[in-house]
Amino acid sequence: MNIGKIHARSIVVMSILFMALAFSPLVSSFPTGISGVKDSGCNCHGATTSDIVVPTIIGLPSIYNYSESYEVTVAFTGGPSTIGNINLGGFHLWASEGELSTLDATVQQFNPSEVGHTEVGNDQTTWTLMWTAPASDKNIEFILHTNSVNGNAGGGAGSSGDEWNRISVKVSAPIEVLEQANPYVVLSTLIVISAILLAITVTYIFYRTNPDSFNWETFEPWIVEWLTSTDHKKVGTLYFLAGMFFLGIGGIMALMIRIQLSVPGNDFLTQDQYNQFFTLHGTTMIFLAAMPLINGFANWMVPLQIGAPDLALPRINAMSFWLQPVGALLIFTGVFSGTGADTGWTGYAPYIVSETAHVGTTMWVAGQLMLVASSTLTGVNFLTTIAVMRAPGMGWMQMPLFTWSILVANLMLFLSIPAFGVGLVQVYLDRVIGTAFYDASAGGDPLLWSHLFWYFGHPEVYVVIVPAFGVISEVIATSARRSVFGYRSMVYAMAGIGVVSFIVYGHHMFTSGMSPTLRFVTMLTTMLVAVPTGIKIFNWLKTMHRGSLVYRTHTLWALGFLITFTLGGISGMFFPSMAMDLHFHESYFVVAHFHYVLVGGTVFGFFSAIYYWFPKMTGKMLDERLGVLHFLTAFISYNGVFWPMHRLGVWGMARRHHTYFISTEEAMGSLPIEAAGWNMFISVSAFLFFFSNFILIANMIKSVIRGQKAPADPWGGWSFEWMTSSPPPTPSFGHFHDGVWSDLPTLKDANEDHIANEPSAVVKWFQSLMVLDDENEEASH
Amino acid sequence: MFHHSFWYTSKEGEEFENQDGIEVGVFPKHNDDMRLEVAWTVLPFILIIYLTYISWAPLDAVWTSADGGNHGYECGLSESSNNQIDLDTGIITSECYHILEITGKQWVWSFNCNPNEDSWTGDTVPDRGFELGTNLCDVGTIAIEGYGMQPLLSLKAGETYLAVMQSEDVTHSPWVQILGVKEDVLPSHQTTLWLPMHDVSESMILCTEYCGDAHSLMSAGLSVHN
Amino acid sequence: MSGSYHDDENEHPSAWGPHDWSHGAPHNSWAPIIMSIGIGIFLYTLASAYSWGEMVDSSGISLAFIGLIISFFGLTVWWRQDASFDGTYEPRATGTPFQNIQIRKVAMWVFLMSEMMVFTALFSTYMRYRLGLTPCVEIYESGSWIVNSQTIDSGEAVNCFLPASELIASSWFHIAPGAINTFALIISSFTIVQALRWAKKPVGSVDEEVRRKRVYRYLGSTWILAIIFLTLKMVEWFIGFYIPEIAFLGIQEHDIASLVNEGYTIHADHYHPHHGWDDGHLAELAAANPGEFTAYFANIASLEGNYEPTNAVMMADIRVSTSTFFVTTGTHGAHVLIGIIGLTYMTWKAWMGRYTPKNAVSIEYFGLYWHFVDLVWVLVFPFFYLY
Repeated sequence: MNIGKIHARSIVVMSILFMALAFSPLVSSFPTGISGVKDSGCNCHGATTSDIVVPTIIGLPSIYNYSESYEVTVAFTGGPSTIGNINLGGFHLWASEGELSTLDATVQQFNPSEVGHTEVGNDQTTWTLMWTAPASDKNIEFILHTNSVNGNAGGGAGSSGDEWNRISVKVSAPIEVLEQANPYVVLSTLIVISAILLAITVTYIFYRTNPDSFNWETFEPWIVEWLTSTDHKKVGTLYFLAGMFFLGIGGIMALMIRIQLSVPGNDFLTQDQYNQFFTLHGTTMIFLAAMPLINGFANWMVPLQIGAPDLALPRINAMSFWLQPVGALLIFTGVFSGTGADTGWTGYAPYIVSETAHVGTTMWVAGQLMLVASSTLTGVNFLTTIAVMRAPGMGWMQMPLFTWSILVANLMLFLSIPAFGVGLVQVYLDRVIGTAFYDASAGGDPLLWSHLFWYFGHPEVYVVIVPAFGVISEVIATSARRSVFGYRSMVYAMAGIGVVSFIVYGHHMFTSGMSPTLRFVTMLTTMLVAVPTGIKIFNWLKTMHRGSLVYRTHTLWALGFLITFTLGGISGMFFPSMAMDLHFHESYFVVAHFHYVLVGGTVFGFFSAIYYWFPKMTGKMLDERLGVLHFLTAFISYNGVFWPMHRLGVWGMARRHHTYFISTEEAMGSLPIEAAGWNMFISVSAFLFFFSNFILIANMIKSVIRGQKAPADPWGGWSFEWMTSSPPPTPSFGHFHDGVWSDLPTLKDANEDHIANEPSAVVKWFQSLMVLDDENEEASH
Repeated sequence: MFHHSFWYTSKEGEEFENQDGIEVGVFPKHNDDMRLEVAWTVLPFILIIYLTYISWAPLDAVWTSADGGNHGYECGLSESSNNQIDLDTGIITSECYHILEITGKQWVWSFNCNPNEDSWTGDTVPDRGFELGTNLCDVGTIAIEGYGMQPLLSLKAGETYLAVMQSEDVTHSPWVQILGVKEDVLPSHQTTLWLPMHDVSESMILCTEYCGDAHSLMSAGLSVHN
Repeated sequence: MSGSYHDDENEHPSAWGPHDWSHGAPHNSWAPIIMSIGIGIFLYTLASAYSWGEMVDSSGISLAFIGLIISFFGLTVWWRQDASFDGTYEPRATGTPFQNIQIRKVAMWVFLMSEMMVFTALFSTYMRYRLGLTPCVEIYESGSWIVNSQTIDSGEAVNCFLPASELIASSWFHIAPGAINTFALIISSFTIVQALRWAKKPVGSVDEEVRRKRVYRYLGSTWILAIIFLTLKMVEWFIGFYIPEIAFLGIQEHDIASLVNEGYTIHADHYHPHHGWDDGHLAELAAANPGEFTAYFANIASLEGNYEPTNAVMMADIRVSTSTFFVTTGTHGAHVLIGIIGLTYMTWKAWMGRYTPKNAVSIEYFGLYWHFVDLVWVLVFPFFYLY
């Protein structure tokens, strides 16, 4: 066996081992509750349980009567406890429902669900107490720990040599109650199932590429090729797969959140679980779904559109990708065992550096740091590629609009994300080595985090929407068979959005005590961002004017985008008006707004991109009928999910609350009765929306295997990607011989007044600043 | 959009004009109209200036100065705010205001009608030397279904209050739903919030800055009476 | 070099390296996935070893090292592919305004723009805290720490900002490591340029053995200067140094304590500043308000005459100052360390004689990064050490 094979196999084995190492804390025992002592037991008295101690509980019914009180006796036998010693034993009893109370001084109540022995009571082996059953149907679990005391070591209070044990007893309700589903079990099962389905799909696709040689010898080079490739097309596909996978995971979390919110006062998720779920939903969707999907298309299409053979830095591109799944593993640490990050995706200080935030928060921060590194490298790569590798004839103002959108997005991204990175490092160090950046008792300022985060956070949301703008420009222009109306304005509008996005981040901090002057300035600039965005929307509409629209699924999605993104943008306009923001901040109105622009904007834009570029990427056409079905079901159910949220926000439903209560005649609550009905409607629509997207997945899988072969230019586009075959060869353009690339395409121009690559005045000035290297010159920079 | 989607659909068998010279590998002809573009840049811009202009007055009102702004100065003994509402703009003005203190802490709100030297506002809020009557400001408890026993703040209609707020641990934010206002409370410095109570009402205060485990249940009742 | 360029089964260069650059840039590389896994393991295990400033699981440290080793292994795979790079493939820009400039040079400039943002954020943190918190000197001299606290050294500490310059700029000896470091970095920027110059000399204008020696020596000097930088930084932070008696200069023998030994640590919540602040003003204040300053004069029998403080000790919580100092200078130090790792590879490559005019420009890419690191130091030094 040659060295290459040994290397490859050992790498595979090692990676499996490392994944196992990384995963192992994730698959530890499912939680039995939040209290550590209940799980870990009387550790001070001994590390593990001991079978010679036998605890008992007497007096509990097997089925209780409502609100009835029972006298319960807890006792134990066995262990080192001996009559005549000063201390004999102790106990601790939990009841998951109902109320425990004391009868005498040997027992104390810590809270209604927890009792234990007192100092006086530690020289007995039996104790008597009261338990009152709840007034409704619940499944009750009693957990008893008893400790048999050694009674040694100078006075009998020593805890060494003690032995303890635990039992649990279940009591049923008069009317049988179904076991409460454990949300972690549900989530972990669904994630594991999704991962297995992904693996099966990948294996199946491999099988179909060559049914006759379905064996390890053929599989190994195939999988190694995917794990090590630096080709922009393969990396793009990897991003795309990762993005779609996490889109599904984020969707599962959203569904669990919606189950919890479907009725008021629900207890499917406890507060603590809910907090982790919404944190991970937000983080997954933005960083692990939206950004990889964008990067997937950017990786695929930007080199093709500019006529370049690959990106400027291929290995760094692969590095950007691989940082993401590993980062994802870190971010998800703890979520299966109840200690995942619970800070919200915005991770505000000082909560994020408080000890009440879960252990998984540190891992969340570490995973985010890897994603920051990944995004920075991506930004550098794309900026460089677009600046230096454009084909002859393609000046800045001849680039396709998708490429422009990626350029603006990446420029915003890599200039803003380092601030977030610094904030994350500060939080990581605070939590790990104990620095005091955000420790209020030391003088640390929580607003510093807000500034660093939102300086990144606001450009970030434009980073995810601007590429969608690019896609829509391409799709509408191609569908209407016209060139985009006002190409120059579109470019300037995107650039304007990019610049202004850095100065409006204060609008996320309106309620945090800013000075009124600054509030006014931020208000004005935030409203101004609507102007370039509006220009783009008008331009798209005008593109359709006097066009010859051909309706395909991508056209439908682009038109759907125009509706939902515009609605989202308009709802966004309510926030800069400061006084309105005071009501809407942190309410469901915000949730409605950002889901309209993120899902209705970014995700719909990328659904459109999928239908548009799938033939190019895979060489197969997608089924149009399934596409239209997907559009109709998804679009309608999506609006059913998010439109009513505006109303809920106005009524006063707060976000990040695990439940809500409605006002009735007897009870004060924060929402009117209709809110409950609307929440149920939203939850049902959410399920419909989630499942409607499986139509897309099915369509994609079916088309890859059995779709119609795609021509080079199925839609009639003009940019370079339509020149290549479907799928494009590797390298995408040209040939490499003797250190140079040849046969790269040249862009022609239908406008006679354009001269390719003639530098403008600004460019000439810039060039005069640079000293160009020359073979014969001394070193110069 | 709806008009264009229907009107400009390509028809079966129709000759396609290719007015912009669309061809693979060729940058198509420019499609622009400068007057239209200037129009739809300038008109939204004017609209935005207008929206900012109409937002200015409420902005000023919500953050009016505590030193002779819309609500005058702090009330003396037996003085009343007598607040008035301008029905056109919705802006409330008062003759004077009463100071009270709101403290956020995981996971309970606490109110103090009479901040003095011993409370944490001692340095910034001078002791006014007398106590507000329980008619003007009172703190009690109320059982709210689902939320449990929560603090209840009882205020008087027609009176304006200035809440001086701080947090003992992490950030919180009291959302006074009946007025539709909120302001974050931070551990590192104080923030303020005007509470011009004009009408009789029973409403809730919810926490709207995520603060950990029991964030959803951190609430209070607000009762405004005559 | 061991290992062939190609896998057995197909024509492609091996994903483990070395790489045949006549094929263009590598299409396959194991380095990215291995490095990512290593970094992930490192961050995970480091956080499991330490929590809130205390070590909770010492095995986490060894696992963290394993993570670093895996990352480094991935880096060596990367280098293995690059070691055979001889300049046959160095693409240049086609588009304006960067026409004809090497693409990787443009990429390095773009990357440095993002690094600029990192240090901007760190400086912003520093400025916000330095300007926003009261300086410890001011609190000390105002006497408010006496007036406000019931008992002085009972454990109540005041929050204040103590810039590192209070300790470092207090004497020439204290500042010596920092000053030497500044010179070291500046000279190292010079040596790297010299290495580039010699590597770029056209073939024929210089003897190849001379070129090899010069390039390797200049790169080696840069490496040594960088090592000196980090060593002096460790001396300044942790070790401290000893000054012997130099009679003719009037210098007594004494120890210069390191910052950590002086108590200037990130956990310093009861720091006792003892660097010659002005007590005189306090005495005047006390004379004017004897009733309020009784604690200050705990052991003085009479309040007339000499007002000499005895037990008064101001305890300060300076963790914010130390955190900003160590993390900012530490981030810079980490960038120097990364430079040292790169320089190690480059010095080795130079020693092997692999730098020719065709691939000399890769020294320039590193040089750009190194100049940036130097520039940041030139800003960090005055702001954190002197002012």
